[in-house]
Amino acid sequence: MRTDDLIQLLAQGAGAAPRGLVQRRLGAALLLGLAASVAGAYAWLGFVPRELFALSGPGFKLGYAAAMALAAGWLSMRLARPAARVEMAASATAGVLLLAVVVGWLAWRATPPDVRVGALLGHSWALCPWFVLALSLPALAALLWALRGLAPTRPRAAGFAAGLLAGALGAGGYALACTELAVSFVAAWYTLGILMAGLLGAWLGPRLLRW
Amino acid sequence: MREAPRLGPQVACGGATALQNELPMSHTRDADDVADDFELRLRPLWLRAQAGDEAAYRTALQRMAVRLRAYLRRRMQAWPDEVEDLVQETLLALHLQRGTWDASLPVSAWMLAIARHKLVDLWRRHGRRAQELASLDVLDEHDAPAAGDHEQHLARRDLGVLLGSISSAQREAIVLTKIEGLSLAEVSARTGASVAAVKVQVHRGLKKLAELAWKTT
Repeated sequence: MRTDDLIQLLAQGAGAAPRGLVQRRLGAALLLGLAASVAGAYAWLGFVPRELFALSGPGFKLGYAAAMALAAGWLSMRLARPAARVEMAASATAGVLLLAVVVGWLAWRATPPDVRVGALLGHSWALCPWFVLALSLPALAALLWALRGLAPTRPRAAGFAAGLLAGALGAGGYALACTELAVSFVAAWYTLGILMAGLLGAWLGPRLLRW
Repeated sequence: MREAPRLGPQVACGGATALQNELPMSHTRDADDVADDFELRLRPLWLRAQAGDEAAYRTALQRMAVRLRAYLRRRMQAWPDEVEDLVQETLLALHLQRGTWDASLPVSAWMLAIARHKLVDLWRRHGRRAQELASLDVLDEHDAPAAGDHEQHLARRDLGVLLGSISSAQREAIVLTKIEGLSLAEVSARTGASVAAVKVQVHRGLKKLAELAWKTT
């Protein structure tokens, strides 16, 4: 087939370009992933009482998860478009992570020395990152599927961003079921869970995001 | 240089890092003018094409093909007979991905980012490392030989033949809308499928065609 014929074929009946394709695909995957994470947390662990979220630790969980989802979602959207600039979105994502760690460190400093370690480790530090990762898996699958239909020219970075977003959604779901109260606990172990999801995404990206 | 903006610090991208700088800093003034001129002429056409103007879309794709041919020819000197295959593969990708362009992006940078993605992919298939490509990336495609733009531009691999190996429903949708030029509504009336279903068949068929093209290189 001559290239002119191919162009003819592509243009014939092409109609208008789809609008908001990136937002629609990633938005659908995000909602699906969030629903799966919340439903998974409820079915698997059950929700904690709503009053708990008035406390600083549990409230921080939800705020952190939401901020991370916004920043990583923005970054994923940028990375889904060829030649789009990503500096601002990448800085925002790194900023959320950094801020969470700084807040956690300040909370650790404000905790009386004799209960610091107990607050940091809680009763579930060894499980928390794994719950966050497990609850993020449906979101990660949905987001990678969404990205596959878009045009990420940097598959590892796009996979990492999708992983962080999935991790944030997993953390949001787990926050509803997690009984830990300390801010330093959240800053350490939720962050670890989110980063684990990010690294899984970065590993999967180059393998799955072919187009 | 507006043509291919730097994509900034790598978040976690390994091998292709060096490729993000499309053109060297020491770019000449003339080449800048040529690139700006290309973008200036292409952008209004592209905006109309995105809004559904088929004639504008055809013209835009033709101009992009000329530019892509020059860009790829300079970077594929080891495989000159595969240049046209990759031009066609990139055009197909531009079409399938045109929903990922938005008005904040320069059309030429968006187009070249996709071309570079296809080129890196080809290098991987040929077992070369991306680093080797980086050294070719400092080439300036405006210096590419202009000869050949009046040739037939025959690809080594025939997409027309590949069209024969996609599913019959997809092929029918493509042939009726794109080769016989029927409207979606006419195809819908003829085949009994809904307009939305025909549209999906065309898109999936072209996507399948792009996958087949990738596999046969």
